[in-house]
Amino acid sequence: MSAWRDRSGLADGAREKLAELAELMIPAASGMPSAGEVGVAGAQLDRVLGVRPDLREPVLRALSNTEPTGQLLANVEATDPEAYVALCLVIAGGYYMHPEVRRRLGYDGQEPDEVRAEIIPGYIEKGLLEPVLAQGPRFRAAPDETDRSRKADG
Amino acid sequence: MSAKEAAGDGEIPRVDALVVGAGCAGGVATLRLAKAGCSVVCLEQGDWSELAEFPAPRPEYELLIGREWANRPSLRGRAADYPIEESDSDIEALMWCGVGGSLIMYAGDWCRLRPSDFRVRTLDGVADDWPFTYGDLAPHYEKVDIEFGASGLGGDPSLPPGADPPHPPLPIGPAATRVARAHAQLGWHWWPGTNSVLSVPAGGRRVCAQWSTCQHGCPEGAKASTDRTHFPEAVEHGAKLVTGARAHRVVLDGRGRATGVEYLLPDGSEHRQRADVILLAASAIGTPRLLLLSATPGSPDGLANGSGLVGRRLMMHPFANVCGYFDEDLRGWNGHWGAKIVSYEFYETDASRGFVRGAKWSLYPTGGPLSAAVPTNPQVAPVWGSGHHRFVRERLGRGVNWGIFGEDLPDPDNRVTLADGLTDSSGLPAPKLTYRLSEEARRLLEFNVERAEESFLAAGARHVERQSLVRDAGWHPLGTARAGKDPSSSVVDGWGRSHDVPNLFVVDGSVFPTSGAANPASTIAAFASRAVDHLIAERTNQKVPV
Repeated sequence: MSAWRDRSGLADGAREKLAELAELMIPAASGMPSAGEVGVAGAQLDRVLGVRPDLREPVLRALSNTEPTGQLLANVEATDPEAYVALCLVIAGGYYMHPEVRRRLGYDGQEPDEVRAEIIPGYIEKGLLEPVLAQGPRFRAAPDETDRSRKADG
Repeated sequence: MSAKEAAGDGEIPRVDALVVGAGCAGGVATLRLAKAGCSVVCLEQGDWSELAEFPAPRPEYELLIGREWANRPSLRGRAADYPIEESDSDIEALMWCGVGGSLIMYAGDWCRLRPSDFRVRTLDGVADDWPFTYGDLAPHYEKVDIEFGASGLGGDPSLPPGADPPHPPLPIGPAATRVARAHAQLGWHWWPGTNSVLSVPAGGRRVCAQWSTCQHGCPEGAKASTDRTHFPEAVEHGAKLVTGARAHRVVLDGRGRATGVEYLLPDGSEHRQRADVILLAASAIGTPRLLLLSATPGSPDGLANGSGLVGRRLMMHPFANVCGYFDEDLRGWNGHWGAKIVSYEFYETDASRGFVRGAKWSLYPTGGPLSAAVPTNPQVAPVWGSGHHRFVRERLGRGVNWGIFGEDLPDPDNRVTLADGLTDSSGLPAPKLTYRLSEEARRLLEFNVERAEESFLAAGARHVERQSLVRDAGWHPLGTARAGKDPSSSVVDGWGRSHDVPNLFVVDGSVFPTSGAANPASTIAAFASRAVDHLIAERTNQKVPV
């Protein structure tokens, strides 16, 4: 039994209820796995709550909703917006952290990318700044701006 | 509890200068004073940050930035931060307490105010002129460009001529190139953004690696923040930086001059640091909070508050976001965050629009898959069920944002006060924000949102999402101890010196008489540079010399 469920104060079955709901929210389709296939209500849930313990209480509140699973999400959205957002973050957060999901999306996470400042930018070569420069100064002159001889005011 | 001296028993450790706050202005001031040979202490309620702490490389990144690494101190709940009471504010403040200050979490969008920003009363008949001009500040803009390591392209016709940024511009990427091409066709201004993010190695700092996580700590140290650009050198020159030091009172002597600052350490012990000159650099929320906390029976409305304006005229740069989605994969999660390109097309006043002043636009990336699946824009509902994967694929990597910063004119009813019943981890009253956006500012935002949509459609966007007035986007609190010539209508003079307390200075964004619409970090740094250079140059002529 997971620590999450131990501390939840809810009857057994909360995790199973979350798994059912997650499968409806993120089914297998378009070459992507379902939420259940990547363990959104299992190990991924523990990872999410490990870094976002603040989500635990509103998610448990959402799961205490007695509507059938098919209507639960809409009911929580209408009656408890905070719990709805928490539910979305827990399910989508766990799903999109999974390496297989990221691989299929072509998203490897935030990653470093080399900057090469010596390369002449394409916008220079393509002349994209020329229309801007052709218009001349674009700032609005201030009346006393050119009087540089006056003593700067304190 | 009686205050103890910072150095313990014995000789009073009076220093030439005491700086409160180790952020943008505090870093500039502390280094400049230390290099001039002054003995200087800086008090900072937070601590140093390590690059390895920042969440960028972690798979949980997108979840962490919603809480532990959120920009809102009220969400983070760290002991070093102070909570902010915001129930009467249209905008929530974003900030960070620690060495480097809110630069730890800023985007690095390093732009200047324009000449007209310093003359809004003269030009537009609203608010107030600044007590100095763009030309007075220009040499200091150039100084801080070098100190912070600005990367950009010179020659922007929306600015007066001057020195180029010291480093070449960062790459703008495919999405910004699309939008730039559209602006070239529309005849609208655009320019590669100037960012305080290194495009080449400099000052012992590494080059930007395009993590796109600038607003939650730069894991390369490529983004300038004074914990990297100023404080190490200041300490080498003898400055003493006291971290974990929560300043809560500026102390006066019987002649009305400041003698020092009392502060609390995390263990609850109370201390006092004495100094000849005190410079407040604690932000436009922290500085008025400290002045209000320093009230005495003789000054029940707070210190240096003869004008009654301490805490008033709070400006926040109302922010709108417009996101364009394209058919092609633009790797929209990648790149520096600050500004890939900027537009000042609608910055200056055009009375035919129905409002005065304007807005500055910055093009910046979108996030990763979690923000694609669960949009932060409350007007865009996530899609679940059979359409979910298509919804995410059409968004992830294919979007780019115009961030629109509008000018909000000062209103004395928009203010920082002390909260009832909300305290920080030291038990001190938290600040309370009272801020209402004017109807004119709403019109200004709406006008610019419509133009930004036109920009994206001209660039070939398939779909545009708009969010006018983003509530949790108060990056730029300004104006709560305004500078001016008249002591009855300003808190400090143009050099940051209090009209009421001759050896007390304010050198942070509190001094702004008006906000302009450009990100303020470089102007805050330039103001501190100008004020402190003047303080040092004039030290032999001062009533209380440094």
